Parts: sequence; structure tokens; C-alpha cells
Amino acid sequence: MATKKYWKGLEELNNSPEFVQSANNEFAEQVPVEKFLGDNNLAENSGTNRRDFLKFLGFSVTAASLAACETPVNKAIPYVVKPEEITPGVANWYASTFHDGYDYASIIVKTREGRPIKIEGNEFSKVTMGGTSARVQASILSLYDSSRLTGPVTKSGDTWNASTWTNIDKEIGGKLAAAKGGIRILTSTIISPSTKAVIADFAAKYPNTKHVTYDAISYSGMAKANAQSFGQEIIPSYHFNRAEVIVGIGADFLANWLSPIEYANQYSKTRKVGKGKNKMSKHIQFESNLSLTGANADERVPVKVSEQGKVAVNLYNAVARIVGGSSLPSSSLACDGEIAKAAKHLSEYKGKSLVISGSNDMNVQMVVNGINQMLDNYGKTIDIENPSYTHQGDDVAFADLVAEMASGKVGAVITYNTNPVYTSPASLKFAEAYNKVGLRISFADRADETASMAQYICPDHHYLESWNDYNPKKAHYSLSQPTITPLFAAQNSGTRQAQETLMVWSGNNADYHTYIQKVWTERVYPMQGKYMNFTEFWNNSLHDGAIEVGKGREVAEMAVVDSAKVVAPVVVKVEAKQEAAPAVAKVDLSSAATTINSIKGGTIELALYEKVAIGNGNQGNNPWLQELPDPISKITWDNYITMSPEDMKEAGYKLMERQDRESSVLNITANGITLKLPVVPQPGQARGTVGIAVGYGRDKAGKLSERTGSVVGQNAYPFVQMMNGTMAYGSLSATLENTNEITELAGTQIHHTMMGREIVKETILSEYQKNPKSGNHDEMLVTHAGVVKAADIDLWNEHERLGHKWGMTIDLNSCIGCGACVVSCTAENNVAVVGKDQVMKTREMHWLRIDRYYSSDMTKDVAKETGEGAIQMYLDMENPSTENPKVVFQPMMCQHCNHAPCETVCPVIATNHSSDGLNAMAYNRCVGTRYCANNCPFKVRRFNWFNYNENPDYTFNPTQDDLGRMVLNPDVVVRSRGVMEKCSMCIQRIQGGKLEAKKEERKLVDSDIKTACQQSCPTNAIWFGDLNDENSAVTILRKEDERNYFILEELGIKPTVSYLTKVRNAEHSIEEGKHTGGHGHEEKSDKKEHA
Amino acid sequence: MDTICKQSKKHFLAFFSLLFLSFFLSINPVFAQDGEKIFKENCAVCHSMGKETVTGPGLEGVMKRVPNEEWLLKWIKNNDALIKSGDAYAVKISAFAASQMTTFTSLPDADIKAVIEYIKTYKPPVKVVNNTGGGAGAPAEEEGNPLTLLIGIIAFLIIIVAVLRGVRHSLKNLQNEKTGIPEEEKVGAWTEFRNWMRSNKTTTGVVILFIVGGLMSAGWYAMKDIGVYANPETKLEYQPEQPIAFSHKIHAGDNAVNCQYCHSGVERSKTAGIPTVNVCMNCHRGISKGQSDAGTAEIAKIYDAAGWDPVAAKYSKPQKPIQWVKVHNLQDFVFFSHQQHVKVGKQECATCHGDLTTMTTAKQVQPLTMAWCIDCHRATEVPGMKDNPYYESLHKKLAEKFKDLPRDQRKFTVDKMGGIECGKCHY
Repeated sequence: MATKKYWKGLEELNNSPEFVQSANNEFAEQVPVEKFLGDNNLAENSGTNRRDFLKFLGFSVTAASLAACETPVNKAIPYVVKPEEITPGVANWYASTFHDGYDYASIIVKTREGRPIKIEGNEFSKVTMGGTSARVQASILSLYDSSRLTGPVTKSGDTWNASTWTNIDKEIGGKLAAAKGGIRILTSTIISPSTKAVIADFAAKYPNTKHVTYDAISYSGMAKANAQSFGQEIIPSYHFNRAEVIVGIGADFLANWLSPIEYANQYSKTRKVGKGKNKMSKHIQFESNLSLTGANADERVPVKVSEQGKVAVNLYNAVARIVGGSSLPSSSLACDGEIAKAAKHLSEYKGKSLVISGSNDMNVQMVVNGINQMLDNYGKTIDIENPSYTHQGDDVAFADLVAEMASGKVGAVITYNTNPVYTSPASLKFAEAYNKVGLRISFADRADETASMAQYICPDHHYLESWNDYNPKKAHYSLSQPTITPLFAAQNSGTRQAQETLMVWSGNNADYHTYIQKVWTERVYPMQGKYMNFTEFWNNSLHDGAIEVGKGREVAEMAVVDSAKVVAPVVVKVEAKQEAAPAVAKVDLSSAATTINSIKGGTIELALYEKVAIGNGNQGNNPWLQELPDPISKITWDNYITMSPEDMKEAGYKLMERQDRESSVLNITANGITLKLPVVPQPGQARGTVGIAVGYGRDKAGKLSERTGSVVGQNAYPFVQMMNGTMAYGSLSATLENTNEITELAGTQIHHTMMGREIVKETILSEYQKNPKSGNHDEMLVTHAGVVKAADIDLWNEHERLGHKWGMTIDLNSCIGCGACVVSCTAENNVAVVGKDQVMKTREMHWLRIDRYYSSDMTKDVAKETGEGAIQMYLDMENPSTENPKVVFQPMMCQHCNHAPCETVCPVIATNHSSDGLNAMAYNRCVGTRYCANNCPFKVRRFNWFNYNENPDYTFNPTQDDLGRMVLNPDVVVRSRGVMEKCSMCIQRIQGGKLEAKKEERKLVDSDIKTACQQSCPTNAIWFGDLNDENSAVTILRKEDERNYFILEELGIKPTVSYLTKVRNAEHSIEEGKHTGGHGHEEKSDKKEHA
Repeated sequence: MDTICKQSKKHFLAFFSLLFLSFFLSINPVFAQDGEKIFKENCAVCHSMGKETVTGPGLEGVMKRVPNEEWLLKWIKNNDALIKSGDAYAVKISAFAASQMTTFTSLPDADIKAVIEYIKTYKPPVKVVNNTGGGAGAPAEEEGNPLTLLIGIIAFLIIIVAVLRGVRHSLKNLQNEKTGIPEEEKVGAWTEFRNWMRSNKTTTGVVILFIVGGLMSAGWYAMKDIGVYANPETKLEYQPEQPIAFSHKIHAGDNAVNCQYCHSGVERSKTAGIPTVNVCMNCHRGISKGQSDAGTAEIAKIYDAAGWDPVAAKYSKPQKPIQWVKVHNLQDFVFFSHQQHVKVGKQECATCHGDLTTMTTAKQVQPLTMAWCIDCHRATEVPGMKDNPYYESLHKKLAEKFKDLPRDQRKFTVDKMGGIECGKCHY
């Protein structure tokens, strides 16, 4: 943060000539170096000879080592008056809510001795269903971000001066009253009814106030399309769990689109197979970039950006042909065959299907609405009666505001939870317009890109320090409560909740907590019928964190709803469905289709996307998220251009083949903006398209860029353009220019294929239905006694497991590769952040990684057919299929082998086996030979090459920051240099769970112990439990599910972690691939599936 | 011999006093014993057995004050109800303090009767000026360090050798003078020693070998004490000075305050917890005077920390947290849970912390080394294993596994269920 300047003293402030001179001298006094070196007689005269030197050396070494033997005196300082709810050593849990204007999640927060240390999903929530995402998990670290402002600041000239709230309130109060022109409050989506009421109060005090909602990632086009179709500008709720067929057109609904945690949970419910359930949904994805959602799809069709709208139109026509309906003007596409198949599947499941599009183009969304209308999905898989409120950004209003500001008609702008200088399209020239506003106030918690251009920054509390309420969906409410006293709490300076600041400015000195209660008394309480008095209702809501108020009561309490509508249009009166349905028919889709068809593609088209970790860039200063590898490219600490390897070959860029980290740097120009970025081959990227992630290149996000030495990535937001009044996240014509520069990228996985081995076992649904063990062949070994199962051969004796026998099973069918578990593990186990350079040396410390494998065109069968030699075959196997590979994800952590290869090679028995089946690691015993890591077949052991907690080269590691250190889990050791570490299966949680059961004198049950990865998983892909307990879920799964297998079982290592075969609802079997898969076969398997 | 006599004498005394006591208590054998326990658990915090007021009034002569025993039972059970019922004496004494006495409605009548019995039969303990603990400690110190003794002997020997050398030299010269041989030149002790060493190389070598070996082994054992605060075997003790001269003896010993009253986390948390100042103030609001002036001064330090103005009886000054010096230090890489040991393992505090009822300043009496932990885990059976459903299947399997062992060896100690594995404490 260059905006803040600290003086070393008055001398520096005054900048007197003496001071300047002395400041330029490195040493306060002249060091007599020359005199010293020039004196030839020095050795004779000084009286110190070599022997004396050795004596001194010996003495000091002895003294130092003796001093080290002394035991330190530790102080213990108890509270003077202990808060009633705190018992040192015992965690308290509070229900709260995460919402940053982009992601929503109902959470519970674990606090120890009054400081939050971990976030977990709230299972009471009917929206996020106990799931979290990587971004939600990492938000705990944002609380302890030392880049946050510690109090209000005002700008004079180019410097920021600390101020007090009294002064700020007085100054701003005066300026607001005197503001010439309108006052505008610019925010990201606000789903808090009380915040909206506060803004309304403010608007009542200053009548020329207008509230404008602007989202960096906008769904404005969708809302506008719904306005056309149903007369209401809303975004509906989706029920993926009710859909048997899902067709996505560029909508990354598992990672980013609308409400990804909710949808991932719903989606996974339709994807689970097992005993008594051998059906699963079919998911077809049309997209340009290979997204997380596309990677999980049963069928994925790469299409160009310009074609995505046309896919919707052609799908409309294809469905219309089957279900009967008028068709729209269309143009033919290369993927019409796939579209026809998708239409066939969809029409077979009328009312149980779902078509969604990620486009922000109103026309495309209208056509998609039309398809869903034809398929009778409204009221079934799509709920417009209970709209979602999480994305309310209005692109037109924002563009109007920018124009208004540019014309100088705006007197004051208050920005809250938004960063338009960074996120808005370059064409709008927001920064220029913003500078023309007379009074610029920001509520940002740091001097970010927008706030640093303001005159006042009135920093808001972090959400974990605040009271707030949320209404993510109609009838769903949740609360957030402070889990810590504001870190920068001071009487008159310090941070202050933005709502309270607004309340003060509108003349209300009440605290926001009381205000929320007032709002809830008036609006939320009357909607429920469960509790008889408000206090009871409030306390229970606060305890549960998330509530669903009775449906249908809103109608009965019409008066209440209406009053709410005035100030907080979050409870919208919705027309009955019957009325809504015909509304769609009235809309003329043909003009929309014509507009879509008129879109002309270019040779290179650009599609912007959000990464799972960084998202829209809100948490750009969060090292946990920067170090989380992208689930698809596996690259950390960067954004880059993704491009089809075929296109790259043609253009002659470096292909990063075979573990090569070097990549060509290109200049990409689109929409009048040029960026210099490295290019990464992305198998599955549609030919003629490139992708760039937004959310990077934040030069004013905080201290991270200072500490790592450079800003992470480049800002791709300026590429966004306004098209037909909405923002389009891409460009239809981009040009690439090779700068002939080479850079290196930090990928955590540089081996992209399984090389013909069955590490991830896979089958297709039709095969699975015939034989649940399909795809899960037993590994056989040839021995002198004939061919036997690998699992039956054992060099060692079986372990005795008298007490517990821990086991973990991971369902590869449910795992979507989102990485929430990786961040959760980082937070729980104090895993160090190592930075880009170390990741490039494969020294990342994540205990849990998610391996991503692409299918390869080269298989052993193909080699046999073509007669290719073994060496060439294996070389080719390293290359993934370029056009459209199948993608599988596999969470990989220590497998806790029962016959662990690591244990036998440790010379100091630092890693050893416990009686309950865990491979334990005693850090203090480890001497760092790294033999264990070399002998580990899974490469899950991590070595501390440096003391990341103290080494000045790694200041970005949270443990090196006084604030950041507060996030550490006190129950887990912070490892030092020279020590091996790895997944402990959250042994601290195991011990804790056991202890609870012992104390309560009862048997241990599954719910006592949940590992961090298991808890955070939005799709419930991970089970953990006691294999000696017949009733535990893991035991039952392993006994009953034929998909259960162990990786590298043939090595005889007997892992504790097992996996369940991935089942894809695809047409071709995996082995057949596209080489031998015939259409006849497809038809057959198809019919069986849906019979 | 002396100590053995003392011990047997002690045993003898104890045996007799036990006999005497059991005879004395045979009128009401179980009652008073239970009563004392219940009293210490529930009442001792606020009531002393003497005259002095703690939080509640002192109980000396209470039986003479109250109307009757039946009334006292009602009062203890639910004083609130008694006051509300309008009982004259209850209303009168309810004005005693601002805070009302706790009700004990969950305590069965039998227990309360036991407490009353205990109060009735209570005899103040005879004050022993020199208690046995101090008495035994003092002569031990006088015995002196064996090392000083050794050094003393060596120094003595050196002096003797030097004197003898001188005598020998003089005698030899005397003899030489007689026989006419020229006087032997006086050689320095060191030169002579060197000459001797040269002529006796093997002996010298062996001696040097022994010295080096001895130093190395001493070094090896010294290294084992690195980072160890206390080791009873090597008489290493850790008893740091505390900012307040808090006496466990006065609190836990003389006044029998339950350990858990102050260390309340012991059954709920991994840390037992150092009492916060407000816990001290529960009692010390009333007790401002110590047994001596020094004691009173120490109590004043609590007031200082709590911000309590004893004159105005108000919390009006700034609070200052007390910086205690940690006596029992475990390294950061060890996970130790008090609730595991005290609540589940049913261990007494004294097992690891020593008898604090006799300690003035707390000191570390056990080494807290890993060997010490493991030794205990190897020797200690898991209490209540049979009755705790958590252990049901494990207990069955262990019983099956060790069924062939003789009964006295069939002990299900902590190590039998993985209690000495690395991962149980180090993570």
C-alpha cells in the first residue's frame, strides 16, 4: 500500500537538508574500512592472533550452546474477568453467513479463545445444505489481513491521513447536505433486508439519493429476459436435484454460476449411484473453455463463443420438432448432431429436465426460457415463485450512472462492497467519470483500486465482526453475527460497520443489531408461525443461522409484504404460475433468434471466465486462494491465456509438453485492450477460442503483491464490453501476437494422463447397470501358484485392530474437483503457503491435492492396432487428447497404507503405524532424510524445505504476519524446516471425537468425527468412519458397493483410503472411446438406460 | 536407620489414630465422612468452620444460632423458599449479605443431613508448627551435596600429597646430605608428574580413557535434562517465584478448597486453566486479611489486578492481568488433555502435580518427560473401562486376547490400546 506514509520522525516530515544528507548515508558514522584495510601492521599490532580467535570462537560456541540448554520461563496470563462462554482450550461454534456480494453460504464458525479459526458449512441451511466452497473456506484468512485499514482515513493531496469518526461524520455530513447533484450509493448485490432499509432511511434523509446495484459478474441479461418472459425482473431458483437431464450452455454452475454451492449439492444428489439406485442424471455441456462443470459432464461439446447463442436456438428448434412447436430462424452448426441428441434426451424427460445458459445476453436467455417452457420445466426444476436474490446487478443502471457521473451531474458517490475501477469494462471509462464526482466516499476495508481514488475511506468491519441479515432466496433468511470483537476496535477510530455509518449519516444513532431486530420484528417474524414471541424466534434463528419461513404465509400477510416491497424489494410478490406460463408464449422469440443468428464469429474469440479459487477477485489478497491450483489447468499464482493445443501448434507457441513449464508470452488484443499473458495449452478448449480468467492483476488488493514481489496475473476485466445494454464477458474477435518471450508457470500437476494405468477407475452407466463391478477389475498377479488376486498376496502379517480401524472412502462420482477440501485442509492443519517459485520446484505443501487426469488418444489397444513401439506408445500416452478429452478428478492424500512403504524406510521411526490404522508422523522425531517421500507411491508426503514461518523470503505466508498468525489451529503443530509432513487424517479431530464419546460414556458414531475435507465437501463425496463398527457408513459402503477399490492395490500396500469407481452416463464405453464406439451400440445402451 | 524408625513410628501413630477415630466415629460412621466431602465440594467455598466470614457467615456455633436442625435442613435445601414462606429467622438472616445463598435443591436430604452432622461434630485441627513435610525436608538439605564432599576430599588429598612431597623431598635431601650426594634439585610438581606419566604410559592411557569416558557419559545424561524443568531423580526442581505469593497450602490444604473450584476447565478442556481474577474475587471480596501482614499485602495485589477498591467496595480502578509464571511446561509439539486424564482416566491431580495441599508455592514434582508419560501409560489400567459403553467391544477383544494370562497380569493398561503411539500425543 503505497498510499500510506509513515515518518520516522519530525525530521523526515520537515525534510530538512541535514536530514536528507544523513538519510542518504547508509551508516550513521563513517566506518573506517579503508584505514583498517590499509594498515599493513594491523596483524602485528592488534594483539589478536589466530589462536586467540579460535579461543574466542570456541568460547562463544560453548556459551551459546550452554545458553540454549536453559529452559525458558513461560508466562501464563489469565483473563481478569473471563467471558462466560469461553473456556480456554474449548472451541465455540457460531452460526453465521458468508456473503460478499457474489457468493453466498450459510456457515458455522469455529472460534478458539475468542478468535475464529475455521469455517464449516451450516447443515441447517436449506440453500447451501452444509456445503462450502474454496472461497468461503478461505474467507477466514481475509479477517486477519493486515492490509485492512485500521480506521477511517481522508485524503489530502496524495496522502492519506488518519481521522476519527467524529470528524469524518461531521465533515461528510456537511458535504452530503451541500452536495450539488444527486447522491449515488453504488453497491454490489445486497441481499440484506436491513441494509436495504438502512439505505432507504438514508435516501429519506437525502431525497436526491439513488441506489445502483452493480455486479462485477453480472446476470442482468437473465433478469431482463425473465422480465420479458414473465413480467418480472427476477432470477429463478433452480432445482438440479429434480432434473434427470441437464443441458448447460456455457454455464459453469458447479463452480461459479449463480449459486454454485447449492447447485453442486443438488447436482451430486442426481449423480450418486449405489445399492438400490442405479440411475443417474445425464449432463450435456456446450462450452468454449473447459470449465469445472464441463469436466464433470457426461457429454461435452466444445463450441465457439459466437456459437453459444446459436446452440440455444438450434436446441430450441430441435426440441420444438419433437414436442411440437413453431421453430425459430436458425443457422446450421457443426454440433447439430449433438444438439439433436440433447433435444431427444430432454424431450424424454419433460418436466424433469433443465436447460441453462451462462450468457448475459438477454436474447439467449429468452430462447433458453422458451426451451424450458416447452419442456414444461417451470414449477418443477425451475422455480420462479421463489426467486433467488443473490445477483441483482443492473448493467443498464450502472452504465447510466457512469454517464451521469461523467457529465458531472453527480454530487456524491458512496461505494460499498464494490470495486468498479478494477472490475468495470474499459469502454465505460469508470475511473475518469468517478474523478468528476465532487464527493467520493468508500466503505472498502482497504484502499483498493476504487477506494484509493476516493476522498474518504470509512472502512467496514469484516463480515466475521459484523451483524447482518440475508435473504438469498425468497422465504430463506439467515443471520451473521460477530464471532470476534472487531480487530481494529477503538472508541473513535477503528473500523465501523458500513450500515452503522450510513445510519449515523442519516441521523440514526442506534446500533445496527437493534436495527436488524426491528426489521425482523416487522417483516420476517410475521412470516413464520413456529414461535410465539419474537425473542424466541430471534434466538432460534441466530442459533440455527439459517431459517426458512413458512411458505404461503406471505400471501396471508400481504400488508407486511407490501411494506417490505417499498424499501426492500427482496420479497417480491409473484404472480401465480398459471398466469406466468402463457406469458412466455406472447414473447416473440424469432426476433431474439434473428439477433443471435446475426452474431458473427472471428478467427480467435475470447471467453472470460472465473477461476474456482479467485472468483471475481474479491479475495485477491488471500494467499490460500492464490496457491490453490486451478482444478483444470492445475496452475497456481497466475492467470493466462488458455488455448487449444492444436491451435497453438499451428501458431508455433510452446506447448508445455512432457512436464515442460515454459510457455510463450503473447500480446492479446480484444475490444481495444491489450494484455501480455502467457499461453497455456488447454485440451478441450474449443478451436478458435481462448480463455482468460478475471479476478487477477489486482495491484491494490493489499500487501500480498508486495510480499511476493509482483502483482499476481493481469486484470482481464477491461475486456468486458457492453452489448445490447448488458455486459458480455468475452470478445468475438481477438488477435494474438507472439512476443517471443518465455515465462514459466507454477503448475502442481505436470503429468496429465494416467499412462494406461487404472488409477481412476471408470465405467459408463449402461455397463454399471449390467454389472455393478464394471470398470473395477481386480488386479491379478501371476505367481507360482497361478494367477491370484493382488489383494490376496501379502508379505506381512495382518495388523491387529482391536479398537478402532479408521477408513475413508471417496466417491469419484460425487467429487466435482472444486477444491473446497484443499483450502479446508490448509486452514485446519496450518499448512504453509510456499509461493510461486517453490511450487515451480514442486515444493507445494498441500496435504490434500486433487489430481486431474485427461484421457489420451493413445491407449494400449490403439498401439496394438497401429503397431506402435512401446517407447513411442508411452511417449504418446503422456499427451492428453487435444480436442475433447474426458476429465476425471481424484482427491489424493496420504492413503494411510496398512503396509506402508514409507514406514519401512524411515531410519528414525518418525513415521509409524498406529493401532487404529493411521500412518502417524512424529515431526519432532523426523530428521529429514526424505526417504519416506521417495518411497511413497502416491507422492503425498511434503517436505519443509524452508522455515516458511520465519524465513524472510516467505513473508506472504500467513504465519509471518502478526494478524495472520491468529488463524492458526492451536491443536496442530506448525512444522519447521527439515521436517516431512502429510495428511494426518485430521488426527486432532479423531482424538477430539473419541474423547467426547468417552466422556459421554457412549459408543462412537460416525457424526463424532468428520475430517476437514469431509466436512467442507459440498457434494458429500467423502466418508470417514470406523471400519470395525458395523453400522458406520464406510463399513456399509465397502461391503455393499461393488465400485469400491484401492489405488495401486497390486503393490500390496493395503491402503486405508478407498475410492468408488466413477460412473459416467455416457454413450461410449471408456475403452472404446471414440475410436471404436459405433452408433448401434449407442442406441442399445441408450434405451437400457432410460427403460 | 533414623528415618526408618521415624517412618514406622509414623505408621504406628497413624494406625492408632485411625483406630481411635473409627471408634469415635462409630456412632455415625458413614455420615460425617460423606458430610466432609459434600461440605468441601459445596459449602467450603463460602463458609469457613471458624468465626470469620468468607462470603457467607462462619459456621462456628451455628447449631446454637439456628432454631433447630430441621430448619437448617430446609434453609440449606432452598433458602429462597424459606425466606419467601415468611419464616422469621430466615427473613432476619437474609439481610446478611447482598448476594443470596445458593440453593441446593438437587442435593438429597441425606446428604444435607450428613453435612449438618459434619458441622456438628467438627473439631478444629490442632495446629502443628513444624509439619512433617518441612521437618523431613530440612535435614535432607543439611546432608550436603555429594559433589561438594567429593571436591573437598580431593582437595584434602591434594594438600596431603603436596605436603608429603615436600616432606619426602626434605627427607631425601637430608639423606643425600648425609651420604654426600649433591642436593637433589627441586623439581616442580608438574614436571615430576609429567615425568611420571612418561614412564607409566599404560596407566596414564587407561586413566585418561576413564576420565574421557566419564565426562562423555556425564554429558550424555546432562543432555537428557535439556528442556526439562524438573527431574526428581537428579534433584532438579522447578519452583519459580510468582508475582503473587499464592499459597496452595492455605487454599487447597488448610481451607480445603476443591481444586476444580479454581481450575475449572480440568474436566471440560484440555487445559485445567489458571483461575481468572474474578474467581479469586469470589472469596477475596470478603477475605481481605491474610494470616500475616505479608499475606494481607498479597491479597491487596489481587485487588490491584481486579481494579477493586476495598475501601469503597467497588470495582473502580483499571484492571491489570496477573502474569503468572507457568510451572508445568509442556512443549508445543505435545498435545496433552486434562479432561482425557481427569474426566475419562479418573486420575487424581496429585498424581502429576504432587500434593499441593502441602505446597506453599507450586513446584513441579514430576519430570514431565516422555519417558515418564510412557511409564505411567504402561502401568495404569484404564479405569471404568468395563462400564463405559465406549470401550465395550475393545474390552471384549482385549479380554479374549489375554484370557490365557494369569489373572494378575491381565491388566488392560493404556498402552494395550495404543496409548503409547506417537500419533496419540504428537500431531
